[in-house]
Amino acid sequence: MEIQSTRFGTVEIADDDVIRFAEGLPGFQECHAWVLLADGRNATLAWLQSVDHAEVAFAVVSPSRYVAGYRLHVARRELEPLEIKDLHAARVLVILGKSGRSLTLNLKAPLVINLDRRLGRQVIANGDLPVQHEVLGPAARKRIA
Amino acid sequence: MLVLSRQRDESIIIGDNIVVTIVDIRGDKVRLGIEAPTEIPVHRREVFEAIQRENLQASRMQPRDVSSLRHAPSTRHAPKDD
Repeated sequence: MEIQSTRFGTVEIADDDVIRFAEGLPGFQECHAWVLLADGRNATLAWLQSVDHAEVAFAVVSPSRYVAGYRLHVARRELEPLEIKDLHAARVLVILGKSGRSLTLNLKAPLVINLDRRLGRQVIANGDLPVQHEVLGPAARKRIA
Repeated sequence: MLVLSRQRDESIIIGDNIVVTIVDIRGDKVRLGIEAPTEIPVHRREVFEAIQRENLQASRMQPRDVSSLRHAPSTRHAPKDD
């Protein structure tokens, strides 16, 4: 089927590419169907695109790539609807954001996806974690420029 | 808002499957026990609202906003996923 994306235009996806987030995401409770799109320019980056809302997409990365020793701690009840027994069977991704000129990761609320069952949920991790963990600050960005 | 008085170890039931129990009361702090079906998210309100705000902002990110990500310090060198 074809889906519309304001960022990527018309995208052809297979029915079983769709990942269902039964209760949506906080702020996007009406968005239940999503698809992961690879970023053409950056292999470490993907986009979680809403199937039904062309303008809604999140840039996502694997947290362990940017946070050494990353490990998700989450209450078991948070994972039960995903039908996964333990986190090894799941894909964990975090949403990229920005704060001023810094790029940030939302470590407090990672996405956990059961790729086999195509089920996802934005969980709230245990512990004192930031919703904006800086991965690339303005100083570093200036150096690059 | 419905306001109910409860003592320690007493509960309220919401619908037929959500039970909130007063587990402990110490000074101005109350500990609540919540039994709810796992498909009903239960969160501290201020945490939920912070995530909602962050999601709304993050959903507006465009490819140009993240193009500098490849310069971010990575824990790995070879592009490989978990």
